[in-house]
Formats: sequence, C-alpha cells, structure tokens
Amino acid sequence: MRFKGHVYTVDYGHLSLVGLMAAIVAWYLFDTRSVSTNVNNILLVQPVSIFALLMCALIVPQCFKRVTGAAAEPEKEGDYDPLAPKLPTERKEVIKMALLGGALGVFVFSLNIIGFDIAIFLFCVAAMAICGERRPLHLLAFSLIVTVVAIYGFKALIPFPMFTAIL
Amino acid sequence: MIDIAAFQEALGIMFTSVGSWGWIVPGLIVGLVFSAIPGVSITMAMAIVLPMSLYMDFFSAIVFLTSVYTGAGFGGSVPAILMNIPGSPSSFATTFDGYAMSKKGEHNEALGYALFASTICGILGYVLLLFVIEPLADIVLRIGPVEMFSVAIWGMLLLGSLGSKYITRGLLAAAFGILLGTVGMNTAGFIRGTMGIPTLLDGISPIPAMIGLLAAGQLLSLASKDYILDAEGARKVSVRLILKGCWGTMKYPGVLLRGSIIGIVIGAVPGVGSSIGNLIAYAETKRTAKDSATFGKGNPKGVIAAESAVASAEGGSMATMLALGIPGGGATAILLAAFMMHNIVPGPSFIETQKPMVYAIILNNIVQAIVLLVVGIGFIYVASNVVRVRTRYILPAILVIATLGTYAVSGEISGPITLFLFSLVGYVLVRYEYPIAAVVVGILLGRMLETEFLRSYQLSGGNPLYVFQRPGAMAIIGVMLLSLAMTAWGKRKQAKAEAEELAAMERLHQQELAGINGRS
Repeated sequence: MRFKGHVYTVDYGHLSLVGLMAAIVAWYLFDTRSVSTNVNNILLVQPVSIFALLMCALIVPQCFKRVTGAAAEPEKEGDYDPLAPKLPTERKEVIKMALLGGALGVFVFSLNIIGFDIAIFLFCVAAMAICGERRPLHLLAFSLIVTVVAIYGFKALIPFPMFTAIL
Repeated sequence: MIDIAAFQEALGIMFTSVGSWGWIVPGLIVGLVFSAIPGVSITMAMAIVLPMSLYMDFFSAIVFLTSVYTGAGFGGSVPAILMNIPGSPSSFATTFDGYAMSKKGEHNEALGYALFASTICGILGYVLLLFVIEPLADIVLRIGPVEMFSVAIWGMLLLGSLGSKYITRGLLAAAFGILLGTVGMNTAGFIRGTMGIPTLLDGISPIPAMIGLLAAGQLLSLASKDYILDAEGARKVSVRLILKGCWGTMKYPGVLLRGSIIGIVIGAVPGVGSSIGNLIAYAETKRTAKDSATFGKGNPKGVIAAESAVASAEGGSMATMLALGIPGGGATAILLAAFMMHNIVPGPSFIETQKPMVYAIILNNIVQAIVLLVVGIGFIYVASNVVRVRTRYILPAILVIATLGTYAVSGEISGPITLFLFSLVGYVLVRYEYPIAAVVVGILLGRMLETEFLRSYQLSGGNPLYVFQRPGAMAIIGVMLLSLAMTAWGKRKQAKAEAEELAAMERLHQQELAGINGRS
C-alpha cells in the first residue's frame, strides 16, 4: 500500500483481530446499554468499553508497517519470555498444531453426543497419531488405558453424571 | 496476644491425640493429587473426603481435612511449573516464572523453590495466626466494599508487571478480560452479554477460560515436539536439584516475608482468598526487585513470591473461619461443615471458650506444613517424571484430563466448550503478541471489581470523598501508592546511577584515547 510517498505493508490478520475485538466490545457496550442505562448497570462496563475502543484505535496504526531497506534485527536465541510465548512458524508444525486444535474441538463437541468414553478413546487415538505415533498396538492400548482411567477416575471424583456409551 | 495457659493445654491436646497425626500423610497426598489435576478444586477434594471424617473423632477429622487443605495449597503449582497449566487460579502467578524455569531445564529447582516457600510460609502464616487471631478477626469485620475494591485494584496493578512489548496491546487485553469477567448477571440484577445462553448468567467460568487461554499457546504447540523439554540433559529428575531449590529459597527472606504478610491479610478477607494474594505478591516483588527485568523469564523470586502468598493465605482464611465462623472460600466452608457435623460452631464464642482447641488446630497445621516438605519432595519427584515421557503419550492424556477437569467445575458441557473457545482466543492473541496473562487477570478480577465498585458506589451515594471515611481503604491505597512511589524513586535512582557509570566509562575511554594520541 502506498501512502504519502511511502510504501506500507498491511497485516490484515492483525487488522481483522483488532476489528473483531472492537466489534465485540462495541456490541457488549450496546447490549449493556440496551438493558438499562442505570448507573448500577453501566458503572464499570461503559468506561472500560470506551477505554478498550480507544486502545483498538491506537493499535490500528501498528497494523501498518513502513517498508524500509533495513532488515529487522533477529531475536536472540534462548531469550524465551513465557509472558509472550511464540508459536511454531514452520508449515509442518503449524499443520500439526491446527490438526490437534481441530481434534480438540471435535472432541469437546462430541462428548455429549457419542459418550465421554468413545470420545476420549477416539481423541486419544487421533492426538497420538498427530503427534507421530504410528504403531497400531500402542495407539489402541494407550488410548484404552487413558479412557478407562479417566472415566472411572472422574466418575469417582466428581458428583456430576457423565454420559458414557460403554463404560 | 497469645494465651500461655491455653497454649500449654493445646500442647497437651496435641500429644494426647498423637493417633490423629496418622491422618496427616493421607490427607496431604489426597490434597496434592487432587489439586494437581487442573479443574479439580480444593473444595471438591475436601467435599469428597468430608463423609469419611464423620466416622473420626473431632480432632482427627479436623487434622485430616486441614491436611487435605494444606496439600492442595501446594499441589496446584506442580502442573503450573511443569506444563504452564495452573491447577487452580491461586497458582496462576506461579506459571510466570515457574514455567520459564522449566523451559530452561530448571524444573527441579523451580519445584524445590515452590515447595520450600509453601512450607516456610505455611508455618509462618500459622505462627502469625497464633498471635493475631483475635485482632485479625476485628480487622476483617471492618472490611467493606471500598476496601475490597482497593484490593482488586491492587491486584490489577499486576498488569504493570506483565511487561508486554506493546503497552497498548497489554491494556486492550486487560480491558477485554475485565469485560469478559463482567458478562452475565451483575449484583444489581442486570443481565448483559449472555446472548440468551442460560449458562452465561453466572458469567464465564474462569477456570476453563484460564486453562484454554494458557493451553493454546503451550500445549498445542507441543504437538510437533518429541518431549516437553527439547534438550535431553534438561529432562533430568533429581532429588539433589529439588533440595538445591529448597535451600535456595532461604536466600530470599524478604520475598518470603512480604509474600506471607500479603497472603495472610488478603487470605483473611472472605471471598477474596489466595487467587488475588499470589498476583499482588508477585507484582510487589517484581516492582521492588533490582532485577525486575528478569521476572517472567525464570526468576526464582517470582515463584517464591507467588507460592508464599498462597501458603500463608491458608492461615488467613482459617483465622476468619475460626474467629468469626465466616468461610473465606469453598474449602473453609467444607471445614465449617465438618465443625458443625461434630456439633461445634466456630465463631467468637468458640475462640473464647475453646481457645486450647483453636491453638491445637493451629499447631497441628504447623506440623502438617513440616510433613508437607517430606511428602512434597516425594510427590514432585514422581510428578516431574512427566518431562521424561514422550509428548505423543503425555499430550493426549493431559488434554483429556484438562477437558474433564473443566467438566468437573460445574458438571456441564459448557466447561469443555469454554476451554476450546478460549484456546482459539488464546492462539490468536499469542499470534499477534497480546499478553494472554493480562486477559486472565481481567477475567479473574473483572467480576469482583464490578461488584465491589457497585457496592462502594451505592454506599457512598456516588460521593468519591466517602473514601476518607474509610481508614482501611485509605491505608490500602496509601500502601499501594507508597509502593508505587518508592519503585518509581528506586528506578529513577538506578537509572541515574547507570547514566553516571556510563558517563564515567566514556570519560575513561576518552582519557585512554587522549593518552594513546599523546604518546604517538
């Protein structure tokens, strides 16, 4: 993108995130005000929402980076900061992470449909395969152990019923 | 102050009921194991073993239940250090430096620091309790919404310590977290942001949200790794290194004392508990430390500060429960139930008439803290072996336990779904360098901030000068401002000293250059 004689790159992903957060905050503020404009309702939500929207406005320029000749300084290895964790960037790693995230999503939404026991077993098999396990005996045996221990352990621990198909 | 005659009588009770000491180790193990499972709370662990205590005599039952409580106070820090998953909200601040130490292969030392801080401050908390149980009860009765709001604001000051690369992103993350924390029905009965989903009436459950946010960046990214720790040498599990960490804790008496005082005072406030105490202790330690830049990157002081506040908060909440009969949280409510099942009602009259028994309970808690050191070393030795298991086995098992743990919070599928949705939120936030810790702090404190702000507003009629009628709130705000001012002054002094040192070095360099030129 060119603006006032300078070339800028746009981080559309980040811009979308800021836009989405601003939309959620604006909706929440609107929803809160639509319930009531009584001070007891908007006392904290309104100022914090306005502050969040202001922050979104201040972050938007960070999504545009001016292209210069100088290369960015590489980060020092081993300077790990857990408060700003880094995600894998290699294609293979990102695919594995996305697959595991997807499997987790399918798992949580299927718990009440196919039963906790079958869902846990299938998730374990899928997660182990994604992490690199290929031996069928190991896949099945370990998943079965996890399923049995998790189901009986949590059934003994928690006072709530768990829907299971077999166990 | 301490009543010597009652104290001697308490020692008598302790030694005549030595048989009840046998319940300490099983209680500690139950507490350690249960609290190390993310999502399974101390309250749940104590509720499960409560019926067992019915068949014991009163003192044995209390020894057993308080042992579970003591063990659970430390157990949550084990997954926090090894996997960045806090077993409970009170272990959240432990993840900051504990997990960073693990990533550097210092998990043995980190667990040692956490265990010893927990033990020492558990003892310190109860020793203080022996002396201040009565005055502390008076102070607690004077705490109102304005004071609670001040405490919540103090907790929010942690945000300044999170040190994000971009301040605006950190502030947006915190504001977003606070707003998420206020979803549902507020104290005044207004319902916001629920989208018609009944589960959201009680708000977003903080435990599944916290696990989801933290799990996204860490657990899922382990899929491409063979082990949690890359370097083979770092995967060593050593009692010697755990003990080294334990011993290292003694180097930081100031951190231990500060964490203990913060923990005991905040733990004594009903409804606040150690979930804020650990955040405030961490933030205060970082703010006053000379090496504050290394916090969040594996500084042992961060682990010690957080754990010391958690351990001593236990003593604080016991004080409120024994002296006033008010449970500070779920775990002390179960203890209260145990007292009542044995026809004993804690409160001012209990303290007055049964002082030796109160002292005996406190003394037994000190014994439990000492035994925790031995049982804890064994427990963390076994638990640390998780770093030696290949991720293809450990990752599916952890994800299943975490998911079932979130189901265990309320017995509804909304827990696992919250975990998954917040995993996605966490992933996107980490991807664009937003500090997820700020969102977690916001979610943890958002509801309390709103509730106490609202109550303060209603009490004061909107008059901000009302704060001057509340000496407790003024004291908290005063300490907070003093702490901030001292930090700013210290930082300025440090910057000035560094600038002077730099100028002196520059002068020396110029003189050397001038000397070389003169000779040539």
